[in-house]
Amino acid sequence: MAPARSVAEDAPAAGAPAAGAAVAATRAGQSDTRNAVFLVLLALTAACCIGTVQMIAFHAPVESTMGVVQKIFYFHVPSAYAMYLGATVCFVGSAAYLYKGTAYWDAFAKAGAEVAVAMGVMVCISGPLWAAKAWGVYWTWDPRLTTSMLSLLVYVAYVVLRAFSGNGESERKFAAALGILGAANLPIIHYSVKKWGGNHPTVITGNGGGITPDMRTVLMMGFLTFTLLTVVFVWQRLRVELASRRLEDAEHEALAMGITEE
Amino acid sequence: MSQPQGGSPPPSSTTSPDGRATEFRPVSGGGQMQSGELLLVEAYAAMWLIAFALILFSWSRVRKVDDRLAALEGAMQKARAGGDKPASPRAE
Repeated sequence: MAPARSVAEDAPAAGAPAAGAAVAATRAGQSDTRNAVFLVLLALTAACCIGTVQMIAFHAPVESTMGVVQKIFYFHVPSAYAMYLGATVCFVGSAAYLYKGTAYWDAFAKAGAEVAVAMGVMVCISGPLWAAKAWGVYWTWDPRLTTSMLSLLVYVAYVVLRAFSGNGESERKFAAALGILGAANLPIIHYSVKKWGGNHPTVITGNGGGITPDMRTVLMMGFLTFTLLTVVFVWQRLRVELASRRLEDAEHEALAMGITEE
Repeated sequence: MSQPQGGSPPPSSTTSPDGRATEFRPVSGGGQMQSGELLLVEAYAAMWLIAFALILFSWSRVRKVDDRLAALEGAMQKARAGGDKPASPRAE
């Protein structure tokens, strides 16, 4: 495995101000482009969020037995899917970090884990609120609920590990292993209902009546919105992480140059 | 519950204002009485709260880091341009 490299290793060397200025100008241009793309993506995501809420409220029909509370389904299921996306990002980043050893992939994995936690919390709040009405209890140790909770706890453990255990190479490797291990639980969540039964509905993946075309349209809109939200979140968290590491490198460099804070 | 003998049951004491003041009686299936609308709104509120909290937290963190980084890089460029003389940036 290659040794971990710094995010700022491409930074201009000291004593080459002209080259440094050129690199800085190029970097600033790239940054402007990235910011513009991010703002467009953010605007698109916001429009989709508003559109989805409107469709859930006015387009999706009210379910016959559960009533209006069934509408939680239109963002509960997409948020579970978004948790899978975040976990997949974490898996890809972790595997790439173990293979290449670059700080970028480590930051990518961390961003994915943070998004998986945020989405997992949404799932674990919206699901019990639906269950309170549909099942009469907030929580039951159903196979899918249990495996989903387990998965959320794995990513919470990842985030806590990264927050409190420093940023050394061994911590990064351990976190990468956890990121890969966490992804192993995803297929188990998906197939738990088929393998072990339980109360959890299987209207999308099961063989029952499924959902009506109206409901499907709104659900697809929910999936689109949560895909965009995941991209925005991962992008934003990755940016935070890379900027923090650049700052860390700059602080070390400044200290080496004898620059001190007042 | 035993039904009283002979004719219709007496009116419940809890239906009268005096009865409500002295007796609480549960109904079966209380869990079903939760408002679906309220649960839906709670779920929505939690979801958007988490989403906006994440966006705001990330945004404010990026701004802080970017500001500090800009100050630090400016000070380093100044130090490089000015030779070996150390500078003291006001990073915060």
